[in-house]
Amino acid sequence: MSRPAETLDLTGVPCPANAARALLVIEGLPAGAFLRISLDDGEPIQNVPPALEEQGHVVVDKVRIGTGWQVLVKKGEEA
Amino acid sequence: MEIYLDNAATTQPATAVLLAMSECSRRCYGNPASWHRLGVEAAKVVERSRQTLAEALGAEPDEIVFTSGGTESNNLAVKGTAWAAGRRGKHIVISAVEHPSVTAAALSLEKLGVRVSLVGVDSEGLVDPAAVARVLTSATILVSVMHANHEIGALEPVQEIGRLCRGRGILFHCDACQSFTKEPLDVAKVPVDLLSVNAHKLHGPKGIGALYVRKGTALAPLFDGGGQEGGRRSGTLNTPAIAGFAAAIEAVDLRAASVMRRLRDRLWDSLRRAVPGIRLNGPRKARLCNNLNVMLPETESKPLLRKLSAAGIYASAGAACSSAKPEPSPVLLAIGLSPQETVRSLRLSLSRWTTQAQVDAAARAIVRLAGGS
Repeated sequence: MSRPAETLDLTGVPCPANAARALLVIEGLPAGAFLRISLDDGEPIQNVPPALEEQGHVVVDKVRIGTGWQVLVKKGEEA
Repeated sequence: MEIYLDNAATTQPATAVLLAMSECSRRCYGNPASWHRLGVEAAKVVERSRQTLAEALGAEPDEIVFTSGGTESNNLAVKGTAWAAGRRGKHIVISAVEHPSVTAAALSLEKLGVRVSLVGVDSEGLVDPAAVARVLTSATILVSVMHANHEIGALEPVQEIGRLCRGRGILFHCDACQSFTKEPLDVAKVPVDLLSVNAHKLHGPKGIGALYVRKGTALAPLFDGGGQEGGRRSGTLNTPAIAGFAAAIEAVDLRAASVMRRLRDRLWDSLRRAVPGIRLNGPRKARLCNNLNVMLPETESKPLLRKLSAAGIYASAGAACSSAKPEPSPVLLAIGLSPQETVRSLRLSLSRWTTQAQVDAAARAIVRLAGGS
């Protein structure tokens, strides 16, 4: 059974500090672990997931919740 | 032997700080506002450092605004609060012993119709919270009182003043540039809304500081520009200096304060035993651990400082920012010294690297040059 995902609320955090903070948290997780991130609509949802993918992580899911988004990320095996 | 006793002016950067800055300059030179890989790497340095600073203050990372140093932090706190208050902001209260960057910033607002009250201090340089309470009015928007005085090391009763302000819905700003990491100050415990810190007083780089801004505090920016730092401080972030700031905080040894206090007291004991008539400027007890400020009985400090410098001992007469000005120190005048007495005053400030041998050698040199026995 896989571990439950860690959560990180980045709503209200400006770009690209939101991506940087997400990456810092992911770096502290074991390979294959999941992180569920709350993001604002607009520039954050457009830019943060690609920035995470560029560093080798996998964006598993993106769900709109209210005015924002929830993004499920899996830490890359070699990231 | 070089003996550096001017650590209230600035400190020697720690090796870890220089390494962090060099590494960051070489590897993370992207603009932390850029979305490409190098930009995001730089942003990671900034956010990691923000977290380090926030933890050191007991704050949330979003409550930290990086600035160019203490002067900018103080200007942002004072002017930013008044500008954000607009027509409501008609009265600001500061102490008579604030750093010039607080005093001048507040007085500059007078031409915008803001009234500024200066609260005096006692003969030790301490602000009486009751005196602050007496000048507060319904138009008061901000009180600014420093944590530790830059010249005489007086530790002001910021807890009481903050509580007073909080009870009346008035913002409280505290300049903690001298005391940060030397004396405990946790924004979760002290009712402060804005707090200025910088790096170069704690073996960090010059040109970097921060303002703690409690969540929900209205603050107008000083600069127009790209809207960095959540719109509160435009301008490309100085990533290497920010990395150096965090490295300086991480290198702090919490046991150093008691060592500095013991050596400072040893220095004072040596001087008062050998120089009849020497006086301590500032408080005996409520005093920053690394600060000693004395008034010599006959010797003027400027010629003495030149002779000490020639002997490899570096100290100052007062605030570094005021060294170029011929006027007597407003801080020393505020505690009751005459202009003639202010020019016989000497500030000796230690760091965690100051040794007992250095303190003893400095005392011998001062006694010899100041004509003691």
